[in-house]
Amino acid sequence: MSGPHRIDGGQIDRSRTLKFQWNHKYMTGYEGDTLASALLANGIRLVGRSFKYHRPRGIFSAGSEEPNALVQLRRGAYQEPNTRATTTELFDGLFATSQNHRGSLDWDLMAVNDYLAPFLSAGFYYKTFMWPRAFWERLYEPVIRASAGLGRLSGKPDPDKYDHGYLHTDLLIIGAGPTGLAAALAAGRAGLRVILADEDFRMGGRLNTETYEVAGQPGADWAAGAVAELTSLPNVRLMPRTTVYGAYDHGIYGALERRTDHLADAGASPRQVLWRVYTRRAILAAGATERSIAFADNDRLGIMLASAVRTYVNRFGVAPGREVAVFTNNEDGLRTAEDLRAKGVEVVRVIDARQGETVTGTIGRKGLKALTLGSGQTIPADCLAVSGGWSPNVALTCHHRGRPVWRDGIAGFVPGDDLPPGMSVAGAANGTMTLGACLAEGHRRAAEIASELGGSGSAGEAPGAEDELFNVKQFWHVPSGKRRAWVDLQNDVTAKDMRQSHAEGFRAVEHLKRYTTLGMATDQGKNSNVLGLAIMAEASGRSIAETGTTIFRPPYTPVAIGAFAGRSRGADFRPARRTPTHDWAAETGADFVEAGLWLRAQWYRRPGERGWRDSVDREAAAVRRAVGICDVSTLGKIDIQGRDAALFLNRVYANPLLKLPVGRVRYGLMLREDGFAYDDGTTARLSETHFVMTTTTANAALVFRNLEFARQCLWPDLDVHLISVTDAWAQIAVAGPHSRALLGRVVDDLDLSNATFPFMACTECTVFNGTPARLFRISFSGELAYEIAVPARYGDSLARGLMAAGEDLGVTPYGTEALGVLRIEKGHVAGNEINGQITAAMLGLGGMVSLTKDAIGTALSQRLGMTGEDGLRLVGLVPVDRGVLLTAGAHFLAPGDPEDMAHDQGWMTSVAYSPELGHSIGLGFLKRGAERHGERLRAWSQVRDQDILVEVCSPHHVDPEGERQRG
Amino acid sequence: MADVDVTLAPRVRLGSADLEIGATRIRARDDLAFVSVAIPQSGENALSEALNSGWGLALPDPNMTSLAGDIRAVRTAPDQMLLLLPNAEPDAERRVRGTLGGTGYTTDQTDAWIILELAGPDLGAALERLSPVDLSPMAFPVGAAARTVMEHMGVLVVRTSEDAVLLASAASSAESFLHAIEVSVRNVQVSDPET
Repeated sequence: MSGPHRIDGGQIDRSRTLKFQWNHKYMTGYEGDTLASALLANGIRLVGRSFKYHRPRGIFSAGSEEPNALVQLRRGAYQEPNTRATTTELFDGLFATSQNHRGSLDWDLMAVNDYLAPFLSAGFYYKTFMWPRAFWERLYEPVIRASAGLGRLSGKPDPDKYDHGYLHTDLLIIGAGPTGLAAALAAGRAGLRVILADEDFRMGGRLNTETYEVAGQPGADWAAGAVAELTSLPNVRLMPRTTVYGAYDHGIYGALERRTDHLADAGASPRQVLWRVYTRRAILAAGATERSIAFADNDRLGIMLASAVRTYVNRFGVAPGREVAVFTNNEDGLRTAEDLRAKGVEVVRVIDARQGETVTGTIGRKGLKALTLGSGQTIPADCLAVSGGWSPNVALTCHHRGRPVWRDGIAGFVPGDDLPPGMSVAGAANGTMTLGACLAEGHRRAAEIASELGGSGSAGEAPGAEDELFNVKQFWHVPSGKRRAWVDLQNDVTAKDMRQSHAEGFRAVEHLKRYTTLGMATDQGKNSNVLGLAIMAEASGRSIAETGTTIFRPPYTPVAIGAFAGRSRGADFRPARRTPTHDWAAETGADFVEAGLWLRAQWYRRPGERGWRDSVDREAAAVRRAVGICDVSTLGKIDIQGRDAALFLNRVYANPLLKLPVGRVRYGLMLREDGFAYDDGTTARLSETHFVMTTTTANAALVFRNLEFARQCLWPDLDVHLISVTDAWAQIAVAGPHSRALLGRVVDDLDLSNATFPFMACTECTVFNGTPARLFRISFSGELAYEIAVPARYGDSLARGLMAAGEDLGVTPYGTEALGVLRIEKGHVAGNEINGQITAAMLGLGGMVSLTKDAIGTALSQRLGMTGEDGLRLVGLVPVDRGVLLTAGAHFLAPGDPEDMAHDQGWMTSVAYSPELGHSIGLGFLKRGAERHGERLRAWSQVRDQDILVEVCSPHHVDPEGERQRG
Repeated sequence: MADVDVTLAPRVRLGSADLEIGATRIRARDDLAFVSVAIPQSGENALSEALNSGWGLALPDPNMTSLAGDIRAVRTAPDQMLLLLPNAEPDAERRVRGTLGGTGYTTDQTDAWIILELAGPDLGAALERLSPVDLSPMAFPVGAAARTVMEHMGVLVVRTSEDAVLLASAASSAESFLHAIEVSVRNVQVSDPET
């Protein structure tokens, strides 16, 4: 026998002994045990310390509602705190330690708190840590933080794997007790797609822990048979070890499946899977949770819920005590006594509150030894099974803000009428407390749903069972005098705290909860909430129905943050987009920068360069003096075709596009509906009905979405069609005075002279002896420049080919930083300028907005205040002291003006060191900036503590007449 | 011809990646070309006839596919279709344009996508870890197509047989996409516990 407390029977496999460690002591249990049942079998009663007073606590329940038996499971980085021993499936090699004590579990130094209890009652935080103010951060917070929490995190990265997934089903059944099994059988036989989920590793719920018969056989056997039949149905998916923790919108449920927590080694498998379950209907068959009764010293080791005692005896073959007493206010206590006697466990007394009998106190320093009764009698007992009635598990019915309603007959809250759409509730969760009725209700609900959804088969007959007596008296609390009567065991909340909260004016249930911390621990008050409310109601002289209950929110039981993160960790957090030249760039010394999901080369480091500025200065200078190449494949490219494509473009760009000739490119500016600029780019016309638009890298998806909206919803009559070709083409900018010479060597049979291929020309052609390509003469740098596009598969080879072909011309790869320097020198705007608050007029592009046609945003761009001459205008800035470096974000102030919003004249948007000019330059928006060239202002930055005298100039720092790009 | 005596060498994303994990095979289908065909307004009949006379290919309904020989049509929207065809010739788009004779607007999409074939009896379990769309055989039979998002990446899914799907996703994130598929297949391998 594994452990001194083992008795016969139970659903454990005695042929498979499992060895485990509890607080570094080796023990054994059987397959089918939980850690809690194995500890009880080994005579372990003390398993943890309570949160506040560090009271010794033992196993209290046999399910996920457990408030006491929270342990640390596993070792090293795998260590997980606050694991409930009552739901932890025993496995060979399990390693568990107790938590929330300093020193040993038996001699916890923090137990001193218990002697300070009179000073630590409800609300003591709010009263005590008020003064002196200087102590808030220096003393109180560190002390509170040090004592907060129960278990400890390892502090190391979690080495376990997690995953997520999506399931789709006609019917999700939450809970595989008698109701859930009956429902699953009905729906499964009727041909619905069914998911049956239960948090336990063995399906059957109370059928496994009680001794009733179903369909003429022992309940546990019937449950096993039902599970076998369901397993054989291809349309039914059984999900044991799965907690449905939340009900979300549109019939979506969150579920956590613990896939390897019951194994010593998860291997390569994810430990837990977080499922998003899409359902047409759901049946909540989550059963009910037993409550305790508040009486003096009711937290002593050996005092447990009656249902737990019954579970350990019937399901696990463990007697939690040798002399068991039962304290009950309902019929279940009597049945617990019967079951114990049937197993040969001595029942010393049944104390039935319905007969006026009470327990008034308990005795035993390291565990229960005796009880004092209301009659004054003292009786020996090492275990007390308490049943204070049952609370239907309505939590999921409230996740859409539904409010449960009190039902006197069963002394519990049942679901209200405002359930999440598609959800119905059956069985004990619905307040149907007896077995025969549960089976019938589960079956009936599922059969109704099958008929609604058009199930293909017959739901069959409901399994039959008798209805046991359910006779509960609302009895909550035995007056305890100066002794403490515990309500919330995990957070150490007593009946007195309830009354104190009432006396101090925290009477609404949500206030009661927060003032006393009732139900705020990891168990979320599953067996304490109703008891607390009842005592509050008693104190206030109101009914429980009037008092109401606090709201339930997801998750139903704790879910590890790791499970929510799933596999989205480290490099898997987001996908990476790589350009076609990525590998070449990496070989060439590129440092990459993230631009959205893209990785772009920001500069190419060369030996001997001391830092990024050396690389960027060299690259920018090479473009101005020789020729550079830059991968611009990340720009959005949208293929636009159709008879009405030109008309469509004319309506989405503020400037005219209708008459763009074939073989030409035009710069375009897009406005939002409200008239502000949001994206710019170029559009090339390849044929009468075929255009290619480029967008900025950042707005590629946004522009595409807006264009789709425009064509599908605004102008569905236009024949225009879009498809993204961003990834289809590798596009490389070739810029600099030698760019024509370089391209002349690689483009097949094309005259690149100004006469035949001028600025803003485009053509389809071939390059490098036959590779199809598109060539655009456009310039972001202001130099003579082209962009050349080839099918993406040739991008890598194109970059290498250009480098080889232009070696003698000084061809230099340049990255996004040099690209930025060049465009700031040229005064081209980018994301820093087009930030959503900027109009075409402010960009100096007011003239582009055509008023002779209608386009998106045109009308509102002409609103009062959008076009005024006194508005902000794009300007260039240079430091008066040319040796100073400007910084972006600085605000412009007149010399001598105070530094406040009233005197703010604008701000610096972009800055760069210009190798061409030999000093720092900037772009910015300045009030009436266009007419203020030559003025001196302060560029003031409080963040950087800078105050730099600058001179206003044209934003076109280099080649303002545009001779180079047209040359 | 160009002055330089050089031609460009193709370099296809993922190349011919081919992984076998348990009973599941993940294979990059670099042998397929992808051409989008937009259906002109009021042009559905003309396009349908051109498809039929050119290849004996039916114009499928949205979210469905049709197959004629080695050419597969995938209807991705009321006015959009993608053609998957063998990539023996590098000019698939020109070939399609020629066959359709102006009844559809064609765009070469071959290099915009990578196509993975996921095949094996357990592929449903791997897809559950990836796809918000119901890809179970009863909801997504052979010939069905859907666009969805997996691990933040847009995907076109086509079920080609009981045990196989094609997954097409953006070429630029090809490596991340293959990784996501591979992780999903590995995560559902039989080392997973019996329940």
